Amino acid sequence: MFKALIERLKQGFKTGKFPMRGEPNLPPDFRGRPEIDDDTSGDEVEKMKAVCPVKGALSFDFEGAKLDMGKCIFCGRCAEVCDKIRFTKEYRLAVFNRADLVVKAGDHDYVPPKQTNPQALALKHTFQLREVSAGGCAGCELDANVLGTLAWDMGRFGIRFVASPRHADAIYLTGPISKNMQLALDKTYAAAPEPKFLIAAGACAITGGLYKHGHLPDTPAMFIPGCPPHPATTLEALCRFTGRL
Amino acid sequence: MTEIKTFATAEEAKAFMASFHRYTDPASVSPLKGEAAHEVAVGPVHAGVIEPGHFRFQCMGEDVYNLQIFLGYQHRGVEEEIVRADGNLVRQVALAETCAGDTSIAAATCFSEIIETRDGLQTSAGDRKIRELLLELERIANHVGDLGALAGDVAFLPTASFCGRIRGEYLNMTALLCGNRFGRHAVVPGGLRATFNGKKESQLKDWISRVKKDLDGALKLMFEEPTVLERFEGTGVVSKEVAEEIGLVGVARRASVELKGDVLSRATIRRLEIEEAHKKVFAILECKMETGEWRMQENTSSHSSFPIHQTPFACVVATTQAWRGPLVHAALFDADGKMLRYKIVDPSAHNWQGLAYALRGEQISNFPICNKSFNLSYCGTDR
Repeated sequence: MFKALIERLKQGFKTGKFPMRGEPNLPPDFRGRPEIDDDTSGDEVEKMKAVCPVKGALSFDFEGAKLDMGKCIFCGRCAEVCDKIRFTKEYRLAVFNRADLVVKAGDHDYVPPKQTNPQALALKHTFQLREVSAGGCAGCELDANVLGTLAWDMGRFGIRFVASPRHADAIYLTGPISKNMQLALDKTYAAAPEPKFLIAAGACAITGGLYKHGHLPDTPAMFIPGCPPHPATTLEALCRFTGRL
Repeated sequence: MTEIKTFATAEEAKAFMASFHRYTDPASVSPLKGEAAHEVAVGPVHAGVIEPGHFRFQCMGEDVYNLQIFLGYQHRGVEEEIVRADGNLVRQVALAETCAGDTSIAAATCFSEIIETRDGLQTSAGDRKIRELLLELERIANHVGDLGALAGDVAFLPTASFCGRIRGEYLNMTALLCGNRFGRHAVVPGGLRATFNGKKESQLKDWISRVKKDLDGALKLMFEEPTVLERFEGTGVVSKEVAEEIGLVGVARRASVELKGDVLSRATIRRLEIEEAHKKVFAILECKMETGEWRMQENTSSHSSFPIHQTPFACVVATTQAWRGPLVHAALFDADGKMLRYKIVDPSAHNWQGLAYALRGEQISNFPICNKSFNLSYCGTDR
């Protein structure tokens, strides 16, 4: 026991102040919410599309160029071939409506939306999540697990991953929903008591990302884009979901 | 068709179960009979934040006689999708990387090497060194995470907490190099998209030396704790003979061949690999490498520079020592360099049977530490 205490003193207190105070420690090359210039032409969008790994992530219509964060895997290739698009350091990516994931040209003043649903706001002090991994590469699961470590410690905000859907307020879905996981996902979602929410985390869960998308059991109450979402993005999203931020 | 076998003694039943070498027919029922025979089904949705798989523990009383493992829940057609995306290299790399999220760098390295062989691309020495560096960081991060999880599974929380945090530090080091914690989009055919310079080099050196001290302290604590060693020692043994016969690879094989093949051996091998990887990282950082100019080819469907067009079909096989063991990618090309078939063999594919073996004669409560000591990839196996 004494050895453990001495080691603890050596290592020190490591839990970050984020997200209540301070900014997360993001890498210098972090690719967050994209910004597209107003004057991006259709030809430039075509040029970017040619190097985009995901079909339909970039588009151009009468409103100008658009990038769908629900499909984007944040590889940053488009920003390399065209300087009209930039990936900013904005990590607060999660939104409550699917349409808000689409970044439009000239859309520079981004403020993350606030939670207004009273049923979600009631979960401010205790928010129990059941994770369902449905296909996918396990990247999203690994970065969701990280939130339980003492560096992020989501338990401070009453957020926990629980073992059973019966105990859950929300189902935290990752992966594109493979054919073999469809039934298990539907049953798990059905087993959660009302009122329940579906949180789609990662490009796969939102649109299938690189893969074919299965059938979502419900309309997600929150979308957390990324491939995988950075833990800072996820923690901020979960805190914002319950109205803590 | 199912068959029921009966046994007079537990030894007989054990001998019969030990004769199973491959996955049994999913439709088969437990061959055990008697009052104490029962079967525990787990999954595909597990209690933790992990991937889906279905396990059946076939038990006689408290003892597990056989573990049946049913996978396939993660199948999403990575190989087919890579072939379909032929001509779109960016998409193909991204698909290869998402075959198994924790082995992204190794997978991208394999895929890139295949394309480099096909197109006769030369990578600069600096790029190759940085690829190695990323690969070692991936190895350390995963081993640290697993050792922490092993400590957590036997309720030794100091090391579990320390290692959980330290793993994040190594992921952040990867992110320092390329912007993504899993090293996504860093390794590409023809080179590297990560930037590396003197500033990052010194930053990384300081960072890793600092974290290494914390890591050594955390691991020393666990490997010197009698309560932990008592749980690890002699648990989940896969003998050398079995390991060689069923063809285990990587950490699991080394643990069985070089050591005793129990959970402690696998944990020790991981600790040794962490040491080795650090030595390699420091050696690479001493090299004063700079990344070369990034020259990934634009998306093309014509491979005019295809150097192996003398043969009608050419199969290119690439192997990388990923953190679980050897990761093998193979691609079949026709004379024009068009991809006909792509195949990925994750090291996990060889080792699932080892996990089933490890659990024989154990109690179900030992499943978590046996499982974590292997930590096999479901998605890498299912593809």
